[in-house]
Amino acid sequence: MTEMRTAPTGDARADRGPARTRRKGLSERALARLFIAPSLLVMALVALFPVIYAIVLSLYSYTRRQRTGFGGLDNYVDALTDGRFWSATQFTFTFTVTSVAAEFLIGLGFALLMNQTFRGRGITRAAILIPWVIPTVIAAQMWFFMFNVTPGFINNIFGLGDFSWLGQPGWATFAIVFADVWKTAPFVALLLLAGLQTIPSEMTESGLVDGANAFQRLWYITLPLLRPAILVALLFRTVDALRVYDLVAVMTGGAFDTESLSVLVQQYVVRTPNPGYGSALSTITFILILAVGMVFVRMLGRDIVVGRGAER
Amino acid sequence: MSDVATTPDREIAVTPRRNGARLWGKTGLLSVILLWCLFPFFWLIMTSLKLGDRALNSPDLFQGPFGLGNYGNVFEQDFHLNLRNSLAIAGMTTIICIVIGSLAGYALARLPLKRKILLLTGVLAVSLFPPVALVPPLYELWRNLGLLNTWEGLYIPYTAFTLPLTIFILTTFYAAIPKELEEAARVDGATPFQAFYKVIFPLAAPGVFAAAIIIFVTAWNEFLLASTFAPRNAEIAQTVPVAIAGFTGQVEFQRPIGTITAACVVVVIPMIIVALAFQRRIVAGLTAGSVKG
Amino acid sequence: MRARRWVAAAGTFVLVMAACTPGGDDDGDEGGDGGGDGGGELVWAIGGAEAQPGGVHQQVAELWNEQNPDNPIRIELLPEEADQQREQQALELQAEGSGFDVLGVDVIWTGEYSENGWVESLEDVRDEIEEASLPGAFESATWGGELWAAPYNTNAGFLYYRTDLVDSAPTTWDELCQTATTTAASAGIGGFIGQGAQYEGFVVNWLEYYWSAGGELYNDDQTEVLFDTEIAAEATQFMADAISEGCYAPGFNTAQEEPARNEFQQGNVVFMRNWPYVYGLVNEDTGSPANGNFNIAPLPTFEGEGTISALGGFNNAVSAFSDNTDAAIDFVVWAATDPEPQTMLATEASVPPTLQSVYDELDDPVMALLGEILPDAKPRPPAPQWNEISVEMQRALHPAVNGQADIEQAVETVRTFLEGTIE
Repeated sequence: MTEMRTAPTGDARADRGPARTRRKGLSERALARLFIAPSLLVMALVALFPVIYAIVLSLYSYTRRQRTGFGGLDNYVDALTDGRFWSATQFTFTFTVTSVAAEFLIGLGFALLMNQTFRGRGITRAAILIPWVIPTVIAAQMWFFMFNVTPGFINNIFGLGDFSWLGQPGWATFAIVFADVWKTAPFVALLLLAGLQTIPSEMTESGLVDGANAFQRLWYITLPLLRPAILVALLFRTVDALRVYDLVAVMTGGAFDTESLSVLVQQYVVRTPNPGYGSALSTITFILILAVGMVFVRMLGRDIVVGRGAER
Repeated sequence: MSDVATTPDREIAVTPRRNGARLWGKTGLLSVILLWCLFPFFWLIMTSLKLGDRALNSPDLFQGPFGLGNYGNVFEQDFHLNLRNSLAIAGMTTIICIVIGSLAGYALARLPLKRKILLLTGVLAVSLFPPVALVPPLYELWRNLGLLNTWEGLYIPYTAFTLPLTIFILTTFYAAIPKELEEAARVDGATPFQAFYKVIFPLAAPGVFAAAIIIFVTAWNEFLLASTFAPRNAEIAQTVPVAIAGFTGQVEFQRPIGTITAACVVVVIPMIIVALAFQRRIVAGLTAGSVKG
Repeated sequence: MRARRWVAAAGTFVLVMAACTPGGDDDGDEGGDGGGDGGGELVWAIGGAEAQPGGVHQQVAELWNEQNPDNPIRIELLPEEADQQREQQALELQAEGSGFDVLGVDVIWTGEYSENGWVESLEDVRDEIEEASLPGAFESATWGGELWAAPYNTNAGFLYYRTDLVDSAPTTWDELCQTATTTAASAGIGGFIGQGAQYEGFVVNWLEYYWSAGGELYNDDQTEVLFDTEIAAEATQFMADAISEGCYAPGFNTAQEEPARNEFQQGNVVFMRNWPYVYGLVNEDTGSPANGNFNIAPLPTFEGEGTISALGGFNNAVSAFSDNTDAAIDFVVWAATDPEPQTMLATEASVPPTLQSVYDELDDPVMALLGEILPDAKPRPPAPQWNEISVEMQRALHPAVNGQADIEQAVETVRTFLEGTIE
């Protein structure tokens, strides 16, 4: 399947081919539109109005909640020249890269394990899912209890005395990343497990016959076949991590260099409301996340638009 | 461990037990995983059983007194109604998402459509705007439409915001199914819709059920919209996380950590059962599919 | 064909759900409650433990309903957290909704609510209220020289100390820190704890040092900035030293009210700054090392004279979009000035009332101490900008206290920001 990765995007169109389209073209095209319409309709109905509304608001100047006039891009300029915005961006990206990387590795390990037959796998599978079904707000509260000096479960268990995990830069970030990895690695695991299940067993068995060792089978056969599932998992973990809010708000409140973009946005929408500036910050955040998301979509697009099946 | 085979069941037969070290390694790894996943849950259970706030806030997990008082408090507050609301709202979200998301995913993976990448980007974009900024305009809109404090008022936006994830997962899984199967069905005289419903949909079962669990859990745990659009009244539409966040202590400032953890345990147990039921389908999917193929 | 079973199950689920969807619209807060049916019910939007069923706010509402059957009041329970309470009120008021008639308003929201035109002026009933209420509480309900809310309950910080470890309460901050450091070392526990996490409580704690060193933020009518960078630097330096020299207990810089209470209740600290609610909880907890071994005192100052505390609490305002303004005003005035509900707050729930005369009648130690310190307690300026000021102070001063930023620069940042709030 490795050839799939090298297939240029251009082939996508070629593959759908004029011949096919002519044969069943009309009905298939109509069907495609019909199939996709309900989803687009629901999403547009709910999201379009508030997003446009927010973007429009971002062009106006406000003093707190009172509109003072049209400001054009003033809010954007203010945001982009504020050091706070950049330090929040920096934290958000640090958080995202470290937590998503760790979640991927652990999630992959979980998925490979869940995919096997062994005694006690029922319990293991249930256990792996537990962290993820606990509501985030509560998980955040729980990890605050674990890491904070008071009551200090982690310090108590490891005999660390009064080590202040949440009360100093660096370790505070670590604690938040740790809690996030704990909470969402199962999400990655589930998606990858489903991906593993769709890999035909002949593929891996052929590896066995060739005498490849376990790591080689993983690296040369399993991972390439798992690529689309991996990309989807990474995509959604990344865009979610870029919007991290609850963990930060509960565990540090943004202190010790842990202010995330969403915490900043929340401040200007809720705590010290300024609809113009808050909307501008939201829009910038949106564009940043979308840019990252698009990189993934491009990579993924090659796989799913060309389609694995098409190559066979 | 080194054993990373991707086929269940068969693997064991192909590779006979190699040595004891491997077994030990495996057991060790399993224990680490169980500890990692379960210790915090164990904490949750122990805390939910503690009574009196000094025990509750002691770093010693085994400091009593213990009892079921916290669970009593939880159900004194109409918590079963919150469970009902959450079940309904998350259930509706899951079903709608899977049904319409399946269609969209199939179209994107299999049918001829122009500018698929752009379309996918657009779909993704829907879920990326910081939700907190969307709350004020949506609140006004919902208010005018009479959707505040209703189930619809929650599962409609949940559906919209979870559809992107659904569509991406399902598109990926549909795309992975060999086209020949579908074509064979067509040759046998199936319409495109029949081909989708009878051949593709069952084969994509692992992806569909993975998506379903993810949607369900996401909708179940959502807090921001739930706390704004249905903040009160368990009889109507208040969901579980909102209810838990609304628990108060005996006096101002006091945090009712015992009640919160008890509620959390109450919530997590049915969630695990649901998730396991779905997950079984993920793992069973392959066998079910190959029978048909 | 297992998939078919799942489809059938899902279909059944949808049908069942559709059949039993509760009719939300009828009893939700659509439009004005009871707008159509004459006299009408009042809705009181207030949150927290005491607004829950059985809480004292519910008892106050019941008392009112007995006396005013024509205009009964019902509590709409808001969330526990102040920010979320404000957000829920704001969404309704921003939409000019008449769902709420009486608003439980934190003492720091007065200016903001009046600026947004969300609350009725209470100038017509000002005299009645001013005469009855504690001056600090009254001040917190005014903005721009006008009264926007009726005081309801108040709060002030206490110094809690362990009587088995120290002989008497210190009167100066330096004395407190000395005693804390030495006693803590010999007892093998932490010294002093307060609210040092980066949130509103940190600003409250900082202001208590700043005010007790003689500092001020604004002049009386809040037209001029009186922020003194020297005093501010002194207060900030005191806190920074208290961290680096071990006067504060280790968890100080991540502690809100509850972690602070827990440290004290577990017997881990000698001194604590906290609200009155801790008193009853430690007194009930017979297993606590502090139980029976603690006392309360006014907060120290730098000079050792007098005491000062930041005021907390909630006032009741009347929504500008209420359909029942007159009855709502009657209610808030009654709740502020009638001894019956005000006494109820103190006796039924240990919620500090704002009616001055109540304190003369009560003799439990908490109310007695409150009666002593409340006349000198200061509200944070209830300016429309207060939330912005508070965030700015947290962001500048919290790192400075924790040795991550320069103190001089931090207080200068605060001064500049305060100057900017005066147009």
